[in-house]
Formats: sequence, structure tokens, C-alpha cells
Amino acid sequence: MTDPAAPPLVSFEDVSVVFGGRVHALDHVDLTIARGEVLGLVGESGSGKTTLCRTLIGLTPLTTGWIRIGGAPLIETMAADPLGFRRRVQMLLQDAVASLSPRLTIGRTLEEPIAIHGLPREAARRRLDGLLARLGLPRDIVTKFPHQISGGQARRVGVARALMVEPDLIVADEPTAGLDVSVQGELLNLLMDLRRDLGLTYLLVSHNLNVIRRVTDRTAVMYLGQIVETAPTRDLFDRPAHPYAAALVSTNPAIDPKRRRRPIVLGGEIPSVVDLPSGCRFHTRCPVAQPRCAVDVPAEREVGPGRRVRCHFPFSLAPTAAADALLVAADAATAAAATP
Amino acid sequence: MAEPLVAIRNLKLEAGTARGRAAILRGIDLEIGRGRILGLVGESGSGKSSLAACLIGLTPANTSAISGEIRFDGQNLVGLDPTAFARLRGRRIAMIFQDPMTALNPLFTIGTHLVDVLRHRDPGLSRAAALSEATAMLVKVGIADPEARIAAYPHQLSGGMRQRVMIAMALLMRPDLLLADEPTTALDATVEAQIVELLAALRREVSGSIVFISHHLGLVAQLCDDVAVMYGGTVVETGPVDAVLTDPRHPYTRALIACEIDEDDAPGGRLLSIPGEVPDPVRPMTGCIFAPRCAHAVETCRSEVPELRTSGDGRRAACLRFEELP
Repeated sequence: MTDPAAPPLVSFEDVSVVFGGRVHALDHVDLTIARGEVLGLVGESGSGKTTLCRTLIGLTPLTTGWIRIGGAPLIETMAADPLGFRRRVQMLLQDAVASLSPRLTIGRTLEEPIAIHGLPREAARRRLDGLLARLGLPRDIVTKFPHQISGGQARRVGVARALMVEPDLIVADEPTAGLDVSVQGELLNLLMDLRRDLGLTYLLVSHNLNVIRRVTDRTAVMYLGQIVETAPTRDLFDRPAHPYAAALVSTNPAIDPKRRRRPIVLGGEIPSVVDLPSGCRFHTRCPVAQPRCAVDVPAEREVGPGRRVRCHFPFSLAPTAAADALLVAADAATAAAATP
Repeated sequence: MAEPLVAIRNLKLEAGTARGRAAILRGIDLEIGRGRILGLVGESGSGKSSLAACLIGLTPANTSAISGEIRFDGQNLVGLDPTAFARLRGRRIAMIFQDPMTALNPLFTIGTHLVDVLRHRDPGLSRAAALSEATAMLVKVGIADPEARIAAYPHQLSGGMRQRVMIAMALLMRPDLLLADEPTTALDATVEAQIVELLAALRREVSGSIVFISHHLGLVAQLCDDVAVMYGGTVVETGPVDAVLTDPRHPYTRALIACEIDEDDAPGGRLLSIPGEVPDPVRPMTGCIFAPRCAHAVETCRSEVPELRTSGDGRRAACLRFEELP
């Protein structure tokens, strides 16, 4: 586990990214990732998850604010030693098969970081052999081309490529998207074993709430460019504080009929990031919004140990009997509207 | 039990590939009950979408052979001539695709899409009458401000709204059979919940049956009455959804459910996966299609192709050993 007193490996301090002067992709984001932690990031498409990942690997410049890695501002580290920065932060790409060049053997692909970073050849070769063994890849895979290996092997090659430079932090944007449930467990087990053995830190983006619940320590929930809640993952799923988080957590139907809860179904559409709602950004879809929510912008505040939320009325929407009552009322309204 | 709407018998589909003839469907036996929602689940490449393609008569161009029988309300769809199939398609059989952006024509307004559907069904309908019916349907599928949306082009709508338009188009046909191929996969979780709730609420609008294809077992459990589990171009298990998913009989169904992440499991515990690879469609099936990955396989499993056998209570499983498994 991570030591809460130690300085974080990554900190976002009031980070905003505005595209073209009007698209608020990230809006005053404050976030820390502790060394050795797995931080989950969830939210709808367009909420800013990918922009956040891109700022962390230095691909998208910040409009305002700071990102610090190991205490030093990212922008200065990148300017002073761009290769050194890239060795510390590696990205795991979503489509492992597509991310391998079809014209390079697996060996050439894995040796590329050695050449780019000018790593000592002998040590790097030993590292490559060690990684292949560690990831359960046959030694002769280095002579093969991507089309000659299986999907599972391609995913492990992607992990090996990221680990060649001995990074501290892995940014994994939807690593299990598009994977069948029959193989996602294998990849997640591998990522968690590597975390334990190598002390890696992960930022893990996923739409799959089961994955987030199972493998992350803390979770940040994004909505329209803002982080609306950060909490220890277990607390977030047990008792979400922000109404959007409550709705998101509820939309995860169980297989067992005895355990199935009614999802909180939000009305309305996701507003545009160009034309943001006044007050709280979620008030246009929030089932428990009050008049104040349309006017006052909620500040981020502490609502428990390690929990921060951006809501005037936290814990007011829970996947419980109270929420069911709201849904019954909404159903009645829908039924009335549907009857000609 | 009443005669099913669709009865599929020994349906085989082969396609020509660069590596030889691939068996995409290897003898499907399946029934779709009237007014029922059937969930079709299985890994990528198990044949779910190919089965739907056979049901709507839109098999890919590389199809080299199709045999067996699909009885749709008494009529065999296998070998049906294209003109006759075109009369069924868009009238009695409709489909909702995974990606609503590519399924809608970017050059036409939402209103044109909906009016075209109505006029296909009923060529004598005036444009004004069709527009008013289309507007009413948009309200029914939960689109606010329908008069404005009817004049909009697809790119002006959100993903969730486009999928609602697709559903509206399908419902305007009043189909007997509605095929929904991963209709929520491209959508966010909260929007997915909206669409699934809409499908559940609209089932009384669909006088016929729905086939819901998904890899999300939780959604299938929530929405469907029956489920068919596919693997390697075969149906390995079928029956009422709650019975199959809470007490699976086929080892593949069991393995698939065991891979799902259970909310009770301790964080940090090992996740399960199914070792091995999905079957290669180019290789012939000489025994049970799942035997190479099955933890319970014995010698006969590799030499004998198991039939989809009934186990009473409306359930069937294609496993030689399901009675004796622990």
C-alpha cells in the first residue's frame, strides 16, 4: 500500500486545457497520484479523460496550472531532458495489435527503445530476456512478425515495450477496451503483478466499472472537463457522494437476478463543452438538483478521508430505496407521456 | 408452447478466405419465441453477428455456402430469392446496428430517414402524414424537441440520440423480428442505461421478438427473457436467461461467467481467464468445439461432436458430460 505522508509521484495543480479559446477540455483539475498507487479515471466520452492522459505524457500543453512529477514541474523536466522524461512515463496503448508495426519483428520493436534512449546494449539485452521470461513470452518470439503471434502475446509485447525503459509511471488508456472478458483477466493480472514486483504506479482509464472496482486504489470521476469526485475506490462504489458518480456506479447490472439493482437512469443529453451549463455543470441532468445548483458553481471540498467532491448536496443521490422512489415517479411520468 | 416465430435448424455458413474455406456457423439449432427477447452472447468471432446477418439476409460477399433452415413464421429464409427477402427486410425484419453514425446517411435529415422507412412500409402515405407519425415516434423514443430534430442532420445529434433515431426507424416498421447488434457498445455507461431502459419499455411496441446481441452478460440478464451462448460458430447452451446465467451447465458458459469480475471478490485477488485461443474457423470440427480449452474434457470429447441436448425445463446444452459435472 502507499504511504499517505510521502510526497505524491504526480500532482496536477489547478490544471486547465482550453482548445481554440472555447473548448474547456480540462477545467481547474487538482489531482495527485501516490507512488505505487493505481488511480482509476472514469467519465463519459468527451469528459476530458484522454486529454488528462495526454497532458501527463507531455503531448498536450497546459493552458494554465502545473503538473509536477516527483516534485519537479513536468514542463521543465521535459525541456531539460526529454528522453529522461519519456523513460519515466510510458503509455500503454489501447489496441495492442495495431500498435505494433507490421513490418518490424517483435525483436526489432522491443529493441527500438534501446537505440532511441542509448541504453547500454548488454544490460538492455539482459533486460529484454528477463522481460520475455517474466511476461511468459517464448524466446523465439523476437524473430516473429506481429501477424504471426496471438492477440494475447501482442498485448504482452506492448507491455514489454513500455517496460524496456524501466518507467515509474504507466498511463493506460482503456487497456481492456475491445477485449473479450475471457482474456481481460490475464492482462489485468499481469499489470497488477508488475505493480507489485516493480513498484509501478498506474493511471488507468476505463469505461469498465468492474475493472476499476477490482484493480484501482482510488478513483477520480470526470464530468465535462472537471473532476467531480475523487475517493478511495471502495468508498466510491459503496457510497458515491456526487450524484453523477452515483448514477454511473448504478449502471453496472449484476448477472445474478437477486442482486440486481435498478440503475439510476439520467435524463437529458450530455451538454456541449463549448456551451457549458451555468452553476454546477451537472445540474441539467441531476435528479436531485436544487435551484441553487443552476446559479452557484460548487467548489471542490473534502467530504471524508481522502474524498473530495464538487457538489452542493453530496450524498443526496444514492442507489438505494430513496433513488428507487424517484425512479418510480419518473416511470409514472414517462408512462403518462407515452400514452396517447 | 406456441410455435416459435423463428426456428433455425442445422444452419451452416461458410466463407471463402485467403486461407481456405472458413466455417463461420457450424450447424446452429435455435428457436426464437414469439414476443420474447433473446440474448445472444459469446466472444468475438463466435458467430453472433453472422447469425444475425443470416436472419436479415445480408450475408457478406465472401459467403461461399449456406445450408440448413431458418423457418420464419413458416417460411424458409435460407435460399429465399433476393426480391422476396427484400420484401421482408425493412417490413417484417428490422435491424439496429452497433454504430449509429455509420448507419445513418450524413446527407439526409432525420426526417427523411424516418419518412423513407414509413413509405417503404406503406407507399401510399403522404409526406405530411409520415412526418407526423415520425414526430410521434421520436417522442416515444425519448427525443426532446422532435420538430427541431426532424430537420437535423445526423452529425448534429449526440451518439445516444442517434441510437434513439435508429430505434425509432426500426419501430416505425412495426417488425415481427427486431435484431439489435450490440446497440449500446458505442455508448457511455449512463447513456447505455437510458437505451436499455428504452428497449425494455418499448417491448410492448414491438409485437414480435427481439434478438439482442451483446458481450455484456449483465445487460443481457437485465433485458432478455432467453439467452443463447455461442462459441466457435455453434450454440453451446440455451434457455431462460436467469436459469442459464445463475446455474450454467455447459463448461464454456461456466468459464465465461467465472471471468466476469464479481463485486464481492476481494480486490487484488486473481482474475480468471479462459486459457488458449478461440477455434480457427478454417479447421474442421472433429469433436466438441470447446474441448481444447475445456477443464472437463475427456477422450470422447475430442472425437465425438456433442449435440445440443435438452435437459428438460426448456434448457439445452451441447456437452456430452453436463449431467456428471460437479
